[in-house]
Amino acid sequence: MSSTSVYPTPINAFKQSKRSVLSVIVDNEPGILARIVGLFSGRGYNIEALNVTVVNVKKNISRITIETLGEEKVISQIIAQLEKLVPVHSATNLANLSESYEAEICLVKIEFENEEQDQKILNFADIYRSRTVQKRQNIVVYEISGTSERINKFLDDLDTIGGIKVELVRSGPIGLGI
Amino acid sequence: MSNENEFTGADILLKALKDQEVDTIFGYPGGAVLPIYDAIFGQNFLKHVLVRQEAGAVHAAEGYARSSGKVGVLLVTSGPGVTNVVTGLTDALMDSIPIVCISGQVPSHLIGTDAFQECDTTGITRPCTKHNYLVKDVSKLSETIHEAFKIASSGRPGPVLIDIPKDVQFAKSKYISKKDISFREHRIKAGSKNVDKNFVEELVIHIKKSDRPIFYVGGGCLNSGHQASQELIKLVNKTNIPITTTLHGLGCFPGEDKNSLGMLGMHGNYEANLAMNKCDLMINVGARFDDRVTGRLDAFSPDSIKFHIDIDQSSINKNVKVNFHTNTDITLTLKEINSFIDSNNIDFGDKDYSNWWGQINEWRKKECLHYEQGDEVIKPQHAISRLYELTKQKDTFVTTEVGQHQMWAAQYYKFSKPNRWITSGGLGTMGFGMPAAVGAQMANPDSLVIDIAGEASFLMNIQEIATAVQYKLPIKIFILNNEYMGMVRQWQELLHGSRYSESYVDALPDFKKLAESFNAVGVRAKNISELDDTINEMISIDRPVIADIWVDKKENCFPMIPSGAAHHEMLLSKYDKENPENQEKGKVLV
Repeated sequence: MSSTSVYPTPINAFKQSKRSVLSVIVDNEPGILARIVGLFSGRGYNIEALNVTVVNVKKNISRITIETLGEEKVISQIIAQLEKLVPVHSATNLANLSESYEAEICLVKIEFENEEQDQKILNFADIYRSRTVQKRQNIVVYEISGTSERINKFLDDLDTIGGIKVELVRSGPIGLGI
Repeated sequence: MSNENEFTGADILLKALKDQEVDTIFGYPGGAVLPIYDAIFGQNFLKHVLVRQEAGAVHAAEGYARSSGKVGVLLVTSGPGVTNVVTGLTDALMDSIPIVCISGQVPSHLIGTDAFQECDTTGITRPCTKHNYLVKDVSKLSETIHEAFKIASSGRPGPVLIDIPKDVQFAKSKYISKKDISFREHRIKAGSKNVDKNFVEELVIHIKKSDRPIFYVGGGCLNSGHQASQELIKLVNKTNIPITTTLHGLGCFPGEDKNSLGMLGMHGNYEANLAMNKCDLMINVGARFDDRVTGRLDAFSPDSIKFHIDIDQSSINKNVKVNFHTNTDITLTLKEINSFIDSNNIDFGDKDYSNWWGQINEWRKKECLHYEQGDEVIKPQHAISRLYELTKQKDTFVTTEVGQHQMWAAQYYKFSKPNRWITSGGLGTMGFGMPAAVGAQMANPDSLVIDIAGEASFLMNIQEIATAVQYKLPIKIFILNNEYMGMVRQWQELLHGSRYSESYVDALPDFKKLAESFNAVGVRAKNISELDDTINEMISIDRPVIADIWVDKKENCFPMIPSGAAHHEMLLSKYDKENPENQEKGKVLV
């Protein structure tokens, strides 16, 4: 999965690009998402996935999780820049924590034509322990969660079945230090 | 239902400004700020300076802030009023200048309807402010203004914008005073409060060990306050370490002191750049390793251990990796270093770095700022040197525009105190100097304020001469007139085969007559014999003066590290030719 931007991406930033998941605690106020997204596009960083939700209604605090690519130096710079934003409480690279847990959720709608395909789909769904949300004559909808890598593998496996139509949505990874 | 404890949004704004001890505001009225202007009409603590275009207001606020150490404040209307200040806000963000911009907005119920003079102010200014607000509820106005001032002036200072819809200016609420506001810690970004003792100890140990140390001082030292500069002077005197400053660091350390190597960087002194290249210990005090300073990064000071004091965490390890860093305030850190040295009786007497100074003095012999002044045409360098000699006994503030004249001013005008030198460094905004001089003169009514200008930059905000005349601000505009955008032409000579594409400034006005038409005074020096008299005349007139100094049209600014070259690959004069490989690399850089 990759995203493109109208801004040129600095070549150096991707010398030793590593996937990082950043967890950002912010005041939930107007424009906060725009500040963060603007910081990434303005400075030529990439957002691979993004998740924003209020996590403390009383204190009006949101947690934003961003998956990005870049060598370590770039990631530290992103964190320093994020922490300069006034509504940001903290920005953490989950990889720098001694222990963290990561998860993503994905909904997959699969349209198939015959019994053989149905069997294969069922088989993969079973292996990956995905939950059936809905099943009709030629359509099945699964919910699968876990690490992004696990979901990628499931989707790759589905890809090996010829002739089916897949539509999906992913939440992007979320994570928590433990 | 009215309550005597309730005030309109416009009145709350004025109360908050008074509470913040603001006595000067630069602005330009318009539909969406009329309630505020009405409130200004009915009071007398706040002096409003009417500029001639909003760009003038923001640069004046910058000049005011830089020269006084206080927060500069401006007031503009919605739409074009605020889009006109975008350049100045970006300038203040790059150069860490504390300003608060109040902008009017169309009434709340019209926001989003493409109303007359509506624009997405917070959207447009988000990337060019430290923070911005749209105040939709008058009850939040007091705390928003107080937080804005706190944010603008804390940590690494910068511009903050408050957008106030017109209905909020009329709506009523209680006023909450500054002392009754408790700021939320995480929003202030004030840097670390505690001095890093380990950093201090390591630094002193490394100073003791090193053979070729150097101080590299930037604008952060200025922003930390006058005491930072006092502590720095103490530390340099104790250790006898050479010191070089960035463009914005000029004045943090006396420019004529024996330990000063002057400015470093693209047009910095030969000895300063060579010392940076060869040093074994670099102590960065509030500088940000800007590309104008470092030159080619992979050849930047290859053999040094680097210490970095910067209140802005994102400036640390951004362009250059350092060995030790702290993000505590410079004054606190320098103070601790000095007291650590004193309380441990550390003596640097045996460590006078005589070999290092010997080497530096060899480099100094190159006389990189040497120029040949003939007996007819005025050399621009000479014009600045004479200006310095004839004004150095006075209480002088110097602002500049951007280009060759700016670099010559940085090279030949010596500053002994901080906050006397006001220039646009990071953004390089032509048209900055004259409105900045207006601001500096407002903050320092009895001082001599000179804008060292080029004729092209000056034309960019020329309307502000009327502001200076209206408020009887005796600013001096000292134009080094060479009829070219000199720095553009210099780069075209170096990198584009001397094809002077659009860099000749044709159809220039007669600056003397222009001054007269504005009811200012115009003076002119056409050749060397008229120079001193013209400068003296300019200084003696207690009104705004435009001095049109005709200088050598073809003179270029040296020394120079061409873009993409390293510190030791300086060009000292036009006879030095650049390495063609670097030239190709440099062409694509800025």
